[in-house]
Amino acid sequence: MQAQEIVAYQKDMEWEEYLVPGSLDEALEMLDRYRGAARVIAGGTDIVPAARKGAPGIKALVDITRIPGLDAISLDGETVKIGPLVTHTEAALSGLIRKRGMALAEGASRLGSPQIRNIATVAGNILNAQPGADTLIPLLALDGSITVRSRQGERSILLADLFTGVGRTTIDSTKEIVTELSFPALGKGEASAAMRLAKRKTLVLPILAVAVVIGTDPGRKTFTRVRIAAGPVATTPFRCKTAEEILLGSPIGEAVIRKAAEEAAKAANPRTSLIRGTSEYRKAMVAVLVERGIATALKRLEESNG
Amino acid sequence: MAKKSITFTVNGKEVSVDAAPGEMLVDVLRGKLGLTGTKVGCREGECGICSIILNGKLIASCLVPVMKADRGTILTIEGLEQNGEMHRIQKKFIEDGAIQCGFCTPAMVLAGKALLDENPHPTREEIQLAISGILCRCTGYQKIIKAIDSASQAGELR
Repeated sequence: MQAQEIVAYQKDMEWEEYLVPGSLDEALEMLDRYRGAARVIAGGTDIVPAARKGAPGIKALVDITRIPGLDAISLDGETVKIGPLVTHTEAALSGLIRKRGMALAEGASRLGSPQIRNIATVAGNILNAQPGADTLIPLLALDGSITVRSRQGERSILLADLFTGVGRTTIDSTKEIVTELSFPALGKGEASAAMRLAKRKTLVLPILAVAVVIGTDPGRKTFTRVRIAAGPVATTPFRCKTAEEILLGSPIGEAVIRKAAEEAAKAANPRTSLIRGTSEYRKAMVAVLVERGIATALKRLEESNG
Repeated sequence: MAKKSITFTVNGKEVSVDAAPGEMLVDVLRGKLGLTGTKVGCREGECGICSIILNGKLIASCLVPVMKADRGTILTIEGLEQNGEMHRIQKKFIEDGAIQCGFCTPAMVLAGKALLDENPHPTREEIQLAISGILCRCTGYQKIIKAIDSASQAGELR
């Protein structure tokens, strides 16, 4: 009786095969062989709890973490490239990402807990496609892209075009494997910031996440580049385009920043949620976080003298 | 489900086990190797009670398929004691009264070990961050933070 209870509690996962390919080609061949019943696992921090709750039909896992060459963070020309095995811990601590896209490092530092960040990959967080995901909102503001490979070849997709719904992307994860994330490196006169509102600091989903990227002219008089992303305020990660348009080309000043922040709040459509608070509250907080994000990015510009 | 033989180093000893593809690391450690110092809580990475050190990193062993540990290096709470003597962090947990019910203690001690291995003299904030993924339902966090701090000030760690 007692033994039975323990066995029930220790229920193994349902997959029948755990495959460990040594190359991307081998991994793609394995996915192909299972015709939709195999999934890629890297960190596993999303797929394992999902499978435990009964995500059906996973016959095999293809563990890509032993494939060489997929764990680099590098600067290629003026593009920051992030391999699919880069973890949140690695992204959060990367000098390159902190210097050329700080918002992403900040977002990565807030996901889950240290234990989760040590194995969860940024690519997995993007592909999981939750509209408020901690690295997704910054990478969207940074004009990021994702590159995937299938047996038919490789393709790159702008994050702005990637999402089709909660947890849904245009990537077929039973046939395609992420080979790279990338974003244009921020340069002189540019800065970014990620803001997060949550009940506590660790192991909690955000009530709201906002990321901003700004660029200014050398005299720091006008906004020459503006990107504002927020989530979860819609079924997909959300770009606050009306707010961006208000700021772009306009003189830098508190009034216009407030006006843009209010526009961002108007455009956002957060649900009332038992976990995250009422729609009204969260809409109001979009404005607050956008304003703080822009102020933080401007302050970073001053401090870096960039 | 075909079992597969995997090999890893646990607490300094090389071990081979036959494991099914769906087995999780925490169950192999506890069920097959008898290392029950690692506790099981939520099984979804939320409580951190099953934390161990795999290849130098603190991880939640309930989230890790055992196949990921193949050829890896694992440290559990049982591996801290050497030649019958407790690790400095363990001694400080006792001295500072950082143990109440004891259920989170193995995870907390290992979180402290992982931190001090990388950062021998952490700030209070860094200690808080290092243990932030582990729930202590006795809420005895202050003493735990103090114990890790004491260990960091107690000279060279083994």
